[in-house]
Amino acid sequence: MMIKKALLALTLLGGTGVAMADTYFADMQEEIPPQPKATNLGYFAPRDLSEIPKGAFGDKIRKGYELFVNTQQLNGRSVGNQLNCTNCHLDAGAKAYAAPMWAAYLAYPAFRKKNNHVNTFAERVQGCFNFSMNGKAPAIDSPELVAISAYSYWLLMGGLLDMFGMQKTAVPELSDTALQQGGNIDDFKLPGPLSDKVKLDKRGQMPGRAFAKLDKTDQAPSPERGAKIYAEHCALCHAEDGQGIKMADVTVLPPLWGAQSYNWGAGMHRVNTAATFIYENMPLGKAVQLKPQEAWDVAAYINSRERPQDPRFEGDVAATAKQYHADDDGFYGKEVEGEILGTKAFPATTVK
Amino acid sequence: MRNLIIASGLLTLMAATAQAADIPTEAQQCVTCHGDKGQGTAQGPMIGGMSEQYLDAQIENFIAGRRNNTLMTLMAQSLVDLPARKIALSYFAAQGSPLKGQLRGDKIALSGAEKLYYQGDLKRGLPACYSCHGPAAVGGGSFPRLAGQQADYLAEQLIAWRKLERSGDHDNTMGHIAAKLKEDEIKSLATYLSAIQ
Repeated sequence: MMIKKALLALTLLGGTGVAMADTYFADMQEEIPPQPKATNLGYFAPRDLSEIPKGAFGDKIRKGYELFVNTQQLNGRSVGNQLNCTNCHLDAGAKAYAAPMWAAYLAYPAFRKKNNHVNTFAERVQGCFNFSMNGKAPAIDSPELVAISAYSYWLLMGGLLDMFGMQKTAVPELSDTALQQGGNIDDFKLPGPLSDKVKLDKRGQMPGRAFAKLDKTDQAPSPERGAKIYAEHCALCHAEDGQGIKMADVTVLPPLWGAQSYNWGAGMHRVNTAATFIYENMPLGKAVQLKPQEAWDVAAYINSRERPQDPRFEGDVAATAKQYHADDDGFYGKEVEGEILGTKAFPATTVK
Repeated sequence: MRNLIIASGLLTLMAATAQAADIPTEAQQCVTCHGDKGQGTAQGPMIGGMSEQYLDAQIENFIAGRRNNTLMTLMAQSLVDLPARKIALSYFAAQGSPLKGQLRGDKIALSGAEKLYYQGDLKRGLPACYSCHGPAAVGGGSFPRLAGQQADYLAEQLIAWRKLERSGDHDNTMGHIAAKLKEDEIKSLATYLSAIQ
């Protein structure tokens, strides 16, 4: 317990101070370079949910899964929009090139050169709550973050054990503190032939991680052309007005812009991130429906609508754009259809 | 005694008339096969509680030949008066009992059809049916309510998707998904969904 407290204190010390907090947040949704699509992905698959072990450790994993597919149970507390983790991390965070949690888990802690700060896995998940969920992240040692970390760890470790013929081997239990760290530390033992072989600097490159590379097309992404693509291919599920579809008062198909979607600081607000996600994964259950140019265009359309404000905004869109969006492939602070995007943004972080 | 019987007979008749009067004239022609509340009969599937948008799209699909059923195609071809069609469809859309919505993640250790519905099958690229048909298969927007639908009808439709005898879904997404379903999965999905109350 003493050790746990000490570690917590260390973590907190690393993140205190206003300036530190600013740079810390600045980088939370840092872009991960997309990778060329691997051809030999077929073999990695997480274990079936029914194999989550009984007992306290298994309970954390189960809780993580529940939060992942029904994040709305935190609406009003940590979640300020109508999204669920699984809306972007498809198949409950298990699908390759839809930002799978098994690959993300292995990649953290990750050092971010922009802020000189090493983000643990749990800290990275906090970023998702603050931006993608337009909410306020639960504390690092909260049951929610421990649960999401445990679930992500289990996806990774179970899949790796199976890959090397160790189907009967239980996923080793980790302490809450270790779970929050992620798999990119010396202490994190990879199973089978991978043990001692995968260097730390390679752990962020698991095939299937993040999103697949989608080459730039000849024409610059056009919201105008994208509007037509949206009406033709996307509106039936996400609605003409981008607000998704509710069934029995539950948001089933996610809103893509507006007050109930991800905010201007979320990674998905970047046109390149959205384009590759859409190209690779939409429509759900079919995928690779659009031509690359169409994916770029429709991503530009979706990401040039107003959405909740960037939580780092301090009253001046131009200043926020300059400080946080200078290298972005996004529309924040830019003029589209006669309006500077961000000037009519919806409130950021609507939860108390 | 005799008076009582007559009186009760009258009451029954009045009740029946009142019930029939609740159904707009425009919807009367659908009742024979689909039931007075769209609950379905031996002649036709459940349409009650489906969204207007979905029902309307199906009429168009029958007219265009993207769905095939001799009787329904003829019926659909007669439904050209769009305002009248809308009245009929909104009547049926307003029917259907509310469902106790089982949310994704409420249960984890699932098997068979329920597992496919709430979790899909990653290895075959099958998304959870829930992603589009919603909690307890209640449906909405362009997606049909599946809960309580006749099992035979559901199985028939999934097979029709597979055999390319039914189309009209957007970008052939449902056709693509149905093609991956195995014979026994279709059966168990149909049974599971029809039992949802």
